[in-house]
Amino acid sequence: MRSSSMASAPTSKYNSRSLENESIKRTSRDGVNRDLSEAVPRLPGEIRITDKEVIYICPFNGPIKGRVYITNYRLYLRSLETKLSLSPVVNLTSCQDSALILDVPLGVISRIEKMGGATSRGENSYGLDITCKDMRNLRFALKQEGHSRRDMFEILTRHAFPLSHSLPIFAFVNEEKFNVDGWMVYNPVEEYRRQGLPNHHWRITFINKCYELCDTYPPLLVVPFRATDEDLKRVATFRSRNRIPVLSWIHPENKTVIVRCSQPLVGMSGKRNKDDEKYLDVIRETNRQISKLTIYDARPNVNAVANKATGGGYESDDAYHNTELFFLDIHNIHVMRESLKKVKDIVYPNVEESHWLSSLESTHWLEHIKLILTGAIQVADKVSSGRSSVLVHCSDGWDRTAQLTSLAMLMLDSFYRSIEGFEILVQKEWISFGHKFASRIGHGDKNHADADRSPIFLQFIDCVWQMSKQFPTAFEFNERFLMTILDHLYSCRFGTFLYNCESARERQKVTERTVSLWSLINSNKDTFKNPFYTKEINRVLYPVASMRHLELWVNYYIRWNPRIKQQQPNPVEQRYMELLALRDEYIKRLEELQLANSAKLSDPSTSPSSPSQMLPHVQTHF
Amino acid sequence: MFSLKPPRPTFRSYLLPPPQAEDAFDSEPKIKKLEPVLLPGEIVVNEVSFVRKCIATDTSQYDLWGKLICSNFKISFVTDDPMPLQKFRYRNLLLGEHDVPLTCIEQIVTVNDHKRKQKVLGPNQKLKFNPTELIIYCKDFRIVRFRFDESGPESAKKVCLAIAHYSQPTDLQLLFAFEYVGKKYHNSANTLNGIPTGGGGGAGGGSSQKTPLFETYSDWDREVKRTGASGWRVCSINEGYMISTCLPEYFVVPSSLADQDLKTFSHSFVGRRMPLWCWSHSNGSALVRTALIKDLLQQRKIDQRICNAITKSHPQRSDVYKSDLDKTLPSIQDIQAAFVKLKQLCVNEPFGETEERWLSSLEGTRWLEYVRAFLKHSAELVYTLESRRVSVVLQEEEGRDLSCVVASLVQVMLDPHFRTIPGFQSLVQKEWVMSGYQFLDRCNHLKRSEKESPLFLLFLDATWQLLEQHPAAFEFSETYLAVLGDSTRISLFGTFLFNSPHQRVKQSTEFAISKNIQLGDEKGLKFPSVWDWSLQFTAKDRTLFHNPLYVGRRTPCARSSAVKAFRRTKKNYSSTLRGMPASLRNGLLSDQESLPRRNSLILQVRPDPSPHAGGQDGGLEQFFREWLCKPADLHGVLLPHLSATHIKLWKLCYFRWVPEAQIDRGGFITAFHRLSLLADEVDVLSRTLRQHRAGPLEACYAELDQSRMYFRARGPHDTPETPEFLSSSFPFSPVGNLCRRSISGTPLSKFLSGAKIWLSTETLANED
Repeated sequence: MRSSSMASAPTSKYNSRSLENESIKRTSRDGVNRDLSEAVPRLPGEIRITDKEVIYICPFNGPIKGRVYITNYRLYLRSLETKLSLSPVVNLTSCQDSALILDVPLGVISRIEKMGGATSRGENSYGLDITCKDMRNLRFALKQEGHSRRDMFEILTRHAFPLSHSLPIFAFVNEEKFNVDGWMVYNPVEEYRRQGLPNHHWRITFINKCYELCDTYPPLLVVPFRATDEDLKRVATFRSRNRIPVLSWIHPENKTVIVRCSQPLVGMSGKRNKDDEKYLDVIRETNRQISKLTIYDARPNVNAVANKATGGGYESDDAYHNTELFFLDIHNIHVMRESLKKVKDIVYPNVEESHWLSSLESTHWLEHIKLILTGAIQVADKVSSGRSSVLVHCSDGWDRTAQLTSLAMLMLDSFYRSIEGFEILVQKEWISFGHKFASRIGHGDKNHADADRSPIFLQFIDCVWQMSKQFPTAFEFNERFLMTILDHLYSCRFGTFLYNCESARERQKVTERTVSLWSLINSNKDTFKNPFYTKEINRVLYPVASMRHLELWVNYYIRWNPRIKQQQPNPVEQRYMELLALRDEYIKRLEELQLANSAKLSDPSTSPSSPSQMLPHVQTHF
Repeated sequence: MFSLKPPRPTFRSYLLPPPQAEDAFDSEPKIKKLEPVLLPGEIVVNEVSFVRKCIATDTSQYDLWGKLICSNFKISFVTDDPMPLQKFRYRNLLLGEHDVPLTCIEQIVTVNDHKRKQKVLGPNQKLKFNPTELIIYCKDFRIVRFRFDESGPESAKKVCLAIAHYSQPTDLQLLFAFEYVGKKYHNSANTLNGIPTGGGGGAGGGSSQKTPLFETYSDWDREVKRTGASGWRVCSINEGYMISTCLPEYFVVPSSLADQDLKTFSHSFVGRRMPLWCWSHSNGSALVRTALIKDLLQQRKIDQRICNAITKSHPQRSDVYKSDLDKTLPSIQDIQAAFVKLKQLCVNEPFGETEERWLSSLEGTRWLEYVRAFLKHSAELVYTLESRRVSVVLQEEEGRDLSCVVASLVQVMLDPHFRTIPGFQSLVQKEWVMSGYQFLDRCNHLKRSEKESPLFLLFLDATWQLLEQHPAAFEFSETYLAVLGDSTRISLFGTFLFNSPHQRVKQSTEFAISKNIQLGDEKGLKFPSVWDWSLQFTAKDRTLFHNPLYVGRRTPCARSSAVKAFRRTKKNYSSTLRGMPASLRNGLLSDQESLPRRNSLILQVRPDPSPHAGGQDGGLEQFFREWLCKPADLHGVLLPHLSATHIKLWKLCYFRWVPEAQIDRGGFITAFHRLSLLADEVDVLSRTLRQHRAGPLEACYAELDQSRMYFRARGPHDTPETPEFLSSSFPFSPVGNLCRRSISGTPLSKFLSGAKIWLSTETLANED
């Protein structure tokens, strides 16, 4: 289907609704509603809180009267006027409910503002303006009488920002059941075993079992065999937040490795730490290459220098002899946040049509994507060519470092390009190694201006999308998979992205008390499969990180605009599915014919030149 | 120095392989001595040995040694060295791996890096230094570089001068096609079947349909009948080009206008180009193109008469909508300027340096803006014809430039026939070749014209945008469009050689007389047609023209009743596609409904709730929105998405020679590959089924091993890896093309870095 109607577009195909098997009762055609609350989708554990008549100021269609339903999970709006417009097309489909629907998980809300005051005169100038984390704003106009706005504002604020009101995040209330347990997807021991670890040079250590070495690292770490636990403790004192260099990935053949960590605590005085220096040398020696250890500092050079003022820094030549240091020029979380803001400015509600490309350029978003991909390509190439092992860090090693290691691993290891492999990659490099999802996303927190918020994970998914565009057959998952991950990055329906690190998750018993996003995805796997996927082992994927090929992910960033939305499903994929169906149909027919013919064959009256002679041919061919 | 009389050929010439043997020709003939493969009529003008062709961008280790030859058709580099690094080669039967047709040359730069001199070579110019290097800038965005370090300095110089001379001929009749056709005619004097057909060959693969050339009365008549146009007739007043030398001999006019009226009116039009019918909608509205009326006194009167006649030809007598293209669209000069900038940006600027400001630079070329403008304007006219049911008259000063683009795009959007290969080819014949698009001047084959403008490429680009947005609606692939564009730069096909059909007749008759060729009843020489694709590509290679996504009109595919009803109105467009036998279609119909289908999605469509529609613009807006709400009917009207986010750069066409932009084993082609395998599997199954049903007798006639697909399925559960040779440039390969990077660090870079690149003759011809 192409860009669907104005009405259906805001309720994206990618929202959770379409994935639930709840029957949604249609409004009757005349637009008169009986108990509409039945029509509101509800998850197990979801509780209805209130509903209210509002005017939804749709940026694409103008004001539409509707009823909004608020639960502890979502804001759901159904228009009351079914604006049956004038076209014959409508008659064609008028059996359908043509109501406009908005279905917004409260977790997506970043800010709620009152607009207009008691004295506001203009039509629809009094109400609420809701800023969402997923590139849109929602405006509702309310009646000035009574306390209708105050009530709605308060209810929304309480449930959109539960943490600021001592309420539980919905994931802890959600009672959904799936036949697959997504929490079982990632088992670190198994994943390291898949990589061939432990081996002669690398061992698994439980030194962080109770998070005593580093509270933002997972309990299980892979470190050089020759480094003792005591060594690790000493190294930890010299690395920001004790995030010591640990193995992320090892090349199955040449045994070069990707190691991740945080910056060394060099400081203004240029401090040195013999243990840290020796530790890096031990890492370097784990493979037989006599080359140097390559250090990729994700930051721009100046930022790395500036970090010395706050006690950080980078590995200097004179202290770390057998290393080579490169800066990858990737900017910090604040720059990325501002860049995404600019993207929103040019795409929502209206697309900056007249100077689209130069406007896009001025957001620098694609330039950042390019730098991240370029960095990851360098890491992957270094490791894959076997020239040397690689150590990656930024400042704390949980933002840019996660982007680089996970993207490089995606390029190097085809396993991560499967659905399950990708889940493991996210679970490992992002969740378990302490990307601060809670701070970066601000789950359930009202402080929308928090400087800790930043679209780092979104950037990573964007990079993955860019790669999937360049290699349409290399990934088992489709665009929808990536969008679903992003939707639930904010939705708070699942526990997957809650909290900043494993220790916090353990304290909150997240795996026991919440459902994993992978449960949803893995029990609907077919929906997320890329029909063109061709499994290839041992192929390193090098995307072309050039502005000539990077594109704005229109289907994601501009998905709320019905005029821009690209055809869904993708017509190429759709045609492929049709051909598959046709093939199966033909095969069935052939089998039927063969059966019929073989029945005839037993009939002696059949001539020898009957089509049944073809049968062996058919069988060999198919 | 170079006489117009060509010297006697000193090399053996190889005749083109006869078409039936073309597949056997796949294995390359062994060339023992370094000799070029020559076409009939092709002669070697000059040659130099021990030439190095530069291959890689930053090393000379892959360079090839061989002989550089200038013939009257091409530059040929003949070598025994195998091409390094290249994984795939799309072979053009007319050209060797390293050959460049003379008409594809944009600029010739000679360099002497010892003396630090360079010169852009024009025709009849002298060269005061012996070149150490020759750089050929091609019109298709390639850059080829040769070095003469080990070759005889004088011979090198002579070859360079010969290339400059022969690539910039003084006269149309010096273009190679004349020599080639002359040879063919002479040869055919001895044989019976040697006369080239001139007619459009099939597209290869499954289609053996001939492309109507619209040179005859009957082609136009068939087109009138195909579109169901009543009130229109074929008129013959221009037979022998008695009225106008830039109109076809036959064209279609309102039935109510008598020949005598037309003759009278014609004097008032620029170039005597009176209104020509292009196409009729099944609702009766017609698309007409015309030049302006230059006679101001008569203007109103004639305009009125013409409009009345067009109205009369409309079954509902509806009004006429006039679209003044000169006022609404960029001029041909604007388009040329945009294209020059685009070329500069895509190939000539250093790759790395353009990266940072790539998007704004791309915007700055205005190319995409212009492509969008043509699509937008055409789509608006589609609305007028389709929804307002009003006839449209395209007006343009001469009526033979912008009109070609707009008339073609409107028809591609409205009529699914023009989205098939034979249909698209007939469209190019109808609206470009026969309507007097000045290919000679606009393509600048003689390199003298100030009139160069890439309108035809712009049309291909706009078609590509539609193909990109509606990938299942076209029978052809983007490779087909790119190859068609390339074919305009091979001076062999009569299709793209002339400014008008009359010019072909006139020039070739003159030529025939001068060469003693008996023309008999023929009107001028019959040049090979570009539509005879077998001249350029093997049957196997031609299958790359086919789009595996295409849903043919009769491709078995169930449709919802709603769409069926909609399609019924389009019934009178005859499809030229071969479908399945009726019996099989019927056999399948009953079960089709059970298959998941695109059109089943219609149930999910919600109407546009916006009621804001007022006036004509509102109607247009609403038309667009309503159309976008519906699932696209691939055999109905096709509209472009016109948002800036939807108009994209045609990467295959513009990046294919840029090594840095190549995605190895990636790009859309990898999905295309998978699709082809599946489409092929479905085809084989369908044929097998047909054989089963047809019984033994008819089975004999079934196409047993004919596939539409380049990539063939091997078995049912065969999921082969993505072939090594696929890349985003496929089927082309940037290997051997030099981009700017390679030049940096050489003495040449010092010359070029200061100069505006894509050297203009003015800036650099100041060497001596």
